[in-house]
Formats: sequence, structure tokens, C-alpha cells
Amino acid sequence: MTIAWTESRVLTGNEAVAEGVCLARVQTIAAYPITPQTQIVERLAEMVARGELAARFVNVESEHSAMAACFAAAAVGARTFTATSSQGLALMHEMLHWTAGARLPIVMANVNRALAPPWSVWADHTDALSQRDTGWMQVYAESNQEVLDSILLAYAVSERVLLPTMVNLDGFLLSHTAEPVEVYAGHRVDLFLPDFEAPYRLRPGEPRAFGGLADPGRYLEFRLRLQQAMARAAGVIEEEGARFAVAFGRGYGLLHAEMMEDAETVLMVVGSMATTARAAIAQLRREGRRVGLLRVRVMRPFPFGAIRRALRGARRVAVLDRNLSPGHHGILHAEVKSALFSEPARPSVSGYVLGLGGRDVRPEDIAGIVADVERREGGEDLIWWGTGAPPSEIPVPAERREALA
Amino acid sequence: MSGSGIPAVPHDLPEVPLSSTDTRANRTGSWRHVRPVIAEKAAPCHKACLLHAPIPQVMTALARGDIPAAGASLLNHNPFPAITARVCPHPCQVGCNRGRYDEPINIRAVERFLGDALLHRKGAPPDVSTGRRVAVVGSGPAGLAAAFYLRARGHDVTIYEREAEPGGMLRDAIPAYRLPAEILDAEIEGLRRMGVVFRCGVEIGSDMPLADLLAAHDVVFAATGAHGERGLGAPGEEHLTRGLEFLRGVRRGEITSASGTVAVVGGGNVAIDVARTLVRLGARAVVLYRRTRKEMPAIEEEVEHAIADGVTFEFLTLPVVAERVDGHLRLTLVTMQLGEPDRSGRRRPVPVPGSEHSFECDGAIAAIGEVAETKFLPKEVLDEQGWARADKATGATAEGWLYLGGDLITGPATVSEAIAWGRRAALAIDRRLRGEPPAAPERLLPTVSIKGINLDYFRRAPRTVQPALPVETRRLTFEEEIGGIDLVQAMEEAARCFVCGTCTVCANCWAFCPDAAIELGAEDAIPRVTLDYCKGCGICVVECPRGIIALVDEAKVEVRA
Repeated sequence: MTIAWTESRVLTGNEAVAEGVCLARVQTIAAYPITPQTQIVERLAEMVARGELAARFVNVESEHSAMAACFAAAAVGARTFTATSSQGLALMHEMLHWTAGARLPIVMANVNRALAPPWSVWADHTDALSQRDTGWMQVYAESNQEVLDSILLAYAVSERVLLPTMVNLDGFLLSHTAEPVEVYAGHRVDLFLPDFEAPYRLRPGEPRAFGGLADPGRYLEFRLRLQQAMARAAGVIEEEGARFAVAFGRGYGLLHAEMMEDAETVLMVVGSMATTARAAIAQLRREGRRVGLLRVRVMRPFPFGAIRRALRGARRVAVLDRNLSPGHHGILHAEVKSALFSEPARPSVSGYVLGLGGRDVRPEDIAGIVADVERREGGEDLIWWGTGAPPSEIPVPAERREALA
Repeated sequence: MSGSGIPAVPHDLPEVPLSSTDTRANRTGSWRHVRPVIAEKAAPCHKACLLHAPIPQVMTALARGDIPAAGASLLNHNPFPAITARVCPHPCQVGCNRGRYDEPINIRAVERFLGDALLHRKGAPPDVSTGRRVAVVGSGPAGLAAAFYLRARGHDVTIYEREAEPGGMLRDAIPAYRLPAEILDAEIEGLRRMGVVFRCGVEIGSDMPLADLLAAHDVVFAATGAHGERGLGAPGEEHLTRGLEFLRGVRRGEITSASGTVAVVGGGNVAIDVARTLVRLGARAVVLYRRTRKEMPAIEEEVEHAIADGVTFEFLTLPVVAERVDGHLRLTLVTMQLGEPDRSGRRRPVPVPGSEHSFECDGAIAAIGEVAETKFLPKEVLDEQGWARADKATGATAEGWLYLGGDLITGPATVSEAIAWGRRAALAIDRRLRGEPPAAPERLLPTVSIKGINLDYFRRAPRTVQPALPVETRRLTFEEEIGGIDLVQAMEEAARCFVCGTCTVCANCWAFCPDAAIELGAEDAIPRVTLDYCKGCGICVVECPRGIIALVDEAKVEVRA
């Protein structure tokens, strides 16, 4: 008899989420289906129905209820999971504050999808980033392997710092695209991620209130506690990532730097776009261009220190945002600039908004951006990329021309 | 992180916003102006049941496969479920709340399963013997039921039966396609196992005076039924066979065939039994009834079966003369019309003048009513008309040692009503023999309607149907026409029951209460409201699936207390 330590399987991102949840021996799942996340819920429901996963699957009528049910399950100490996307995440918004404020280590998979209107089901990070101030940690995966690994890591980190984690994967680009994924044997995962012993939990015989009234003399301190937990989480993510590398041979951190040794131009990306960027930059380096790649894996806690250290020596930075804060800029761009403000010597920073609503980002786009940013020595905050024409030349309906002038 | 100079946190601040004290410190009960009152109620089936059987409790036990517990609940109110499952009209099913959701529970099918499952198992002798002796006169359903409950309470019981075999109407009147003899035999065998003594072929009154029973017994319960048959009261009535006599002849194998057209006069259960039996013997049966179908006292379902069997009905028709003509029978019929309501509330049939017409047939059977024979009773228990009189709740009479019940008092009624009489009398006799005062009459709780049921908790599910012989087969045979269901079907059907008004300790109230104000007691105990914490929100009232919790104005509760 041989013991299989790892099984290599071809999985979509959604399937990788479900396998990760199963390996984590999650005890309660409350979720509501939504494209492109639905297969996660379906697969988990099947696993529970077949007895492969000894969890309680709670059917709910909305995402708000899903997160409310997760709150209750986590409050009694159960390892808890949910999954959603876009509009569903937006509907959860209130409960995201509740669960983070109550310091419940819930893990959620969010399949990144654009928000309507206009209606769209394709990849876009604005859904997750508009929840960035709720107190949830945010991880963005590049590959389906990282999706599975990030679910396991999310529980390891969340249960130490008592904060919830949102694991993000790009709609369709990861959720519906199959690629080889190593699925670990359960006993190995059990060693890495043992059963959760919640330090604070509700016991029916000893009723306590979660999230009761805090007067003005205390509320501020509770927010401070939340901030301290986030600060601690940055280190814990690195520690658990290193522990994961020892256990499974793959490491994860806050920020992944590649080809940065002598880089003058640095591209900063999030999620699956990193794979495209890596291929394009490798080609540029073969042509002698000094270009580097920084993938921001964790958006909350925001890796200020890691970004500052990584960018020392760079001349210019192009931040690629698959999101938009209307009336401001791309969100990562703004945050990178805020991280660099206190630095005595700073690279110029240009912000590119691209790929919204699932528009394809090709290797040519990456090469084009590198050429573009190298022409902008002072930096430019908002560059629309891939619109086919400069913003001023996007046609306006004739009858509204005067009003829109 | 960029933050520097973070201030020190107060040392008593908890890490997470979880109250440091037990929430029981906050007595939210002081906010209340209405309070939930948890009190069980009656299910419509329980109320409609002629025996007031605890149907919800039976269903709850059976749904989890607990046949002993389900059987114990049922036998406590109905000693012979294998019989009633076959012959009772089951008014319980009519008001079933589930009928207003999808389909009513098939209580009859479940009862039949339980009755048959218990048939050969019950009948243990009582643990104790009181040494008191009771004579039961008549072995019909009332007498058998009284014997069951009296013997179960440790009394020595002897049943005196005029006929050679016990059973009364169950053996001699109800046809075998409705109640096979082996079912009755098995029930009687169970009573024998309990230690009930049967003395058959002894007619009290003629073979032995009623008073003589007293010498050997402490109490006598007489339930001799209604076996006297009314005649047509018209010229030529001697040409008509009596219904019960005919049914008895068939059950005893003395009548094995019939042919031609046979008229059946009457609209009660005996008339329908006679008509359906005639079809099975090979005759064409025509029921002549002086009112309309609406007024027929027969069990509605039996009337439907009779029609399916091929029995035809002539309503608003009364024979006034019967005469033999060339080997045939000629009935002169009068057409009736309905007039003012009579004492029974039914409209009285009155003849239409000049409507006489003749009806040719090969024979006729009169089933127009049965009456009790009361000659053997002391005149102290008879009224001016000579009818026997007894207390409805106990069967007690002016003679302290004599209790009466069943058709002897009520006139022809259903088997279930007779069993109910037997049970009530047995409980009263038991108290008398123990020297206890009569019990207060049983009071039914208020009924739960469909409005009290939270339908969100119940999945739609089809009703279990009992197998039945096809019409074309059943009308040729005396084999039992309706079949039984198996354990899995019975459990599924029982699981459909809403269990209206009875707490199953589902603990929904406990789970939903935002103030942890519901206290669960021992396993089967009904949850209690802790008034220190209940703020009267009413969530438990809504979430109770079976309508047990009501919201009552606090002021009114205090006044009542």
C-alpha cells in the first residue's frame, strides 16, 4: 500500500476553492449561488450531501443572510465558509462590518466580477475593493493552485489574528478555467491546519452578547484593536506562508517580486493578470529591457513596508488597476502612492485602469504599457488603457453634446 | 504599518467585542407588555375522532418507527385499531389541517398498519389483580372494549354472549369484505390472552336472569346492541326479509347466492351492507330510500363504493304494499317529497298524492332501522317508552351495580361510538370498584386551525394510498377490498402529520429566541418561558410550527393570576 501525499488534478478555480474548503474540514457553510461562483456552492453541497465533508450546509435566501448565518456559526466556534461574487458581495456589505468587528475568523471566496449596471459577469476587482474598509483581510490569487492554497492559508491566518479573510479569484479567468492543481492528502493538511479552538465563543449555558453597545469611551479602542490585529496579520501572513512552504513546497507572502534585481521600470499587478505580465516582461528582458514585476497578493492588510522596500532603486512604476474608484483613480495606484509619500527618494508612479468588466489584457498591452510609462518621467495618475481611443475622443451622443461639453 | 504612536489600550478592554458579563444580567423581561403562553391544544383530528384518540402523539411516535410507543398511545383510547381501521368512517380525516395544504393525512391507513402490527402482540394479563368481578353482557364492540379496559385494570371480567360465537354485529352484520372474520377472531384471542372469560350461548334474561349475575359479580355492564328489526309496517311486509337476518345468514354461510333484482329498503349502513352483499351473491340490488342521498345516514364512502359496485338507488321512494305475483314480488311505491325538518334535523319525507306506481322484483329486504331489546332489564332503568336510559359520560344507571352502553342506549350507531361507550363505562366502573368518586368529564382543549400552523416548516408530500381490489374484481368476492400499507409507508405518512397543537420539543422557540428566554427541560418536557428575559417579541409564536404558543396581553395575564 502506498500513501498518496499529493494528487495532481485538473481543476477550475471554483473546484479548487471547494477542494480547499473540504481539506480545511470546514464545519459550517452558508452560501447563496451567483455567477460565476455557483459551482463552488454546488460542489460543496455535493460534498456535504455525499458525506465527504462533515459540514452543516445552510441554505439561505440571500447573501446578507448567508453572512448572518456565518456570523452565528463562527460565534459558536465553528470553522465557517461562504462564497460569493460582485452583487452578492455588495449585498453582504453590512454583515462584512459585523463579522470583522466581532472578530470572527470566517473565510470567504469572492469570485471577482464587475458590478452592474451595465450588467456584466466578467472579471473586475471593484467588487472586492469597494469592501476594503470593512475590516476583512483580502487575498488575490494568481492561479488555481494558489486559490486552493490560499483557502488553507486563510484559515491558518484568520484563526490566529481573529479577523475574517476574503480570498479573491478572477471570474472566468480562474473560476472557469481548468489547470493542473496539486490536491494534498487530508492528513497532511490536518497537520498544517488542526481543528480550531476558538478563544472566544458563545456557549448556550453561558449567554454572552457579541457586538453589544460600546459607549464613546470604548468604541475607539475596539477599532484600535481591529487595527492592531491587521498590523499583526501582516507578519502572521508571512509566517504562515513560510510554514506552508515547509509543509507543501510552495511559499506565499504579502507581495511577490520577480525580476526586480536591476529593474528601472516596475509593473504592479493583482490577480491572474500577473501571469500575462510575467510572460510579457520575460520577453522584454530578453530584449535587454530592465523591467520588473510586483504582484500585490494581499490588499488588506496593505503591505506598505514590503512595497517601499521593493521599490527602492526603481525609477518608475506602472500600477495596473482592474478597478476604479470613480472620482479618484485606480485604487491600488492611490494606495501605492500613499505608501511612497514618506519615502525620501521616490520613483514616479503612473496609474493604468484596464481590463474592467473582463476586457482581455494581452501580452501586447503589457509591452505597450511598459513603452508608455517609460515616456512619462513625471508620472500620470489616470491612464485609460485599452479603450481604443483617448478618453477625449470617446464619442458622445449628439443630443447630449452641449450638456456634456 | 505606517501608524506610530498608537495609544495604550485600557487594560480591562476585551480583545473582541464580546460582553464580559453573562447577558442574563440584563433582565429584558421588564420591557414586556405581551407574553407568550406555551399551552398544548387539540388537533382537529383528535377532536373529531369518535374515541378522541391522541392521533398527533401516535403519528409522532410512528414517524420515528417507535411502534410500541405509538401502539400504547393508540390502545389507550382505542383497544381494537385493526377493527376501527376497517369499519370506522374516520371523521378525523375530514378536518385534518394538512388537507388545506396538500392532502389530509391518511389516518385510516396508519391506524390499519398499527392495528395489524399489534394484532397478535397485545393481550398480556394484567400485572395486578383487584379480585373484583365484572360481568359484561353482550360481546359487540361496546362489550369487548369495556372488557379490554376493565381487564387491563386488573378486574376479573366474564363476557356473556347469546350467540355461539362472540363479536355481535362485528361478526354477524358487517360483511367480510369490510371486516374479515380472522381480524375479529384475533382481537378476541387477545382478550382471552388477557384473561377475559367468554361464556357464549347464554342469553341473559331467558337462560339466566340479569339479577343472577349479581350473585357472582360486583358490577354488570350490559351492551346488548340493537338487534330488533323494524318491519315495513305496510301490507305484505312478511314478504320482505330483514336486513340483519340476511347479513347474518350470509356470514354464517347459510345464504350463498342471490339472483334477479332485489329491492333493499332503507338508507342506513345495514341497507348499504345488504345491497353490496347482494351484488357479491349475484343479484342486482336496487336501494329504495324515502329521502335523498344527502339525508342518508349511511357512511358516505360506503355509498360511493356501492354505486361503483353497480348498486342503483331510487330516492324519494317508499314501498306501501308488497305482494307476491307469479313468483315475483310486486312493490307499490309512493314518490315522496321533503317537507319540514323533523326532530333529527332532516327534512321529513311526505307522500306525493297520486304518485303510486308498481315495482317488479325477485325479492326485497327491509333495512329500515334496528331497535334495542330491553325486556331483560329492570324497569328502574327504562323510561316510559321502555327505552334503556344511562348517563352518557359513564353508562351509570339508577341501579348502582348496572351500567349500560352502546347501541342499547343510542340505537344503531357506529362501531367506534360503541367502543367509546365501552371505554367510558369501563373507566367509570373501575373508579367505582376502587371506591373513587366519578372522574370529572374529559374536556377538550381549544382546537388549532390551519392558521396556527407555520407551513414553512412542512414540505409538500403526496398522501399514501391504501391498495384496493379493482371494482370489477371486488364485486365478485367477499375478500377484503382494501389492503394495508407497510412500515416504511406508515412512517412516511406519519411523518407528514403536522402534529397540530402537540409539542414535539422541536426547540424552534429555543433556537429563535433572541433573549435566550426559552428553557428546555427534560427530553419530552414542553419548553418554558423565562419571564425575567422574555421581552414579548413574539418570534417564538410565529416560529412554532404547530400553533402551541399564543401571545397574551400582559395586563390580562396578571388579572387572571
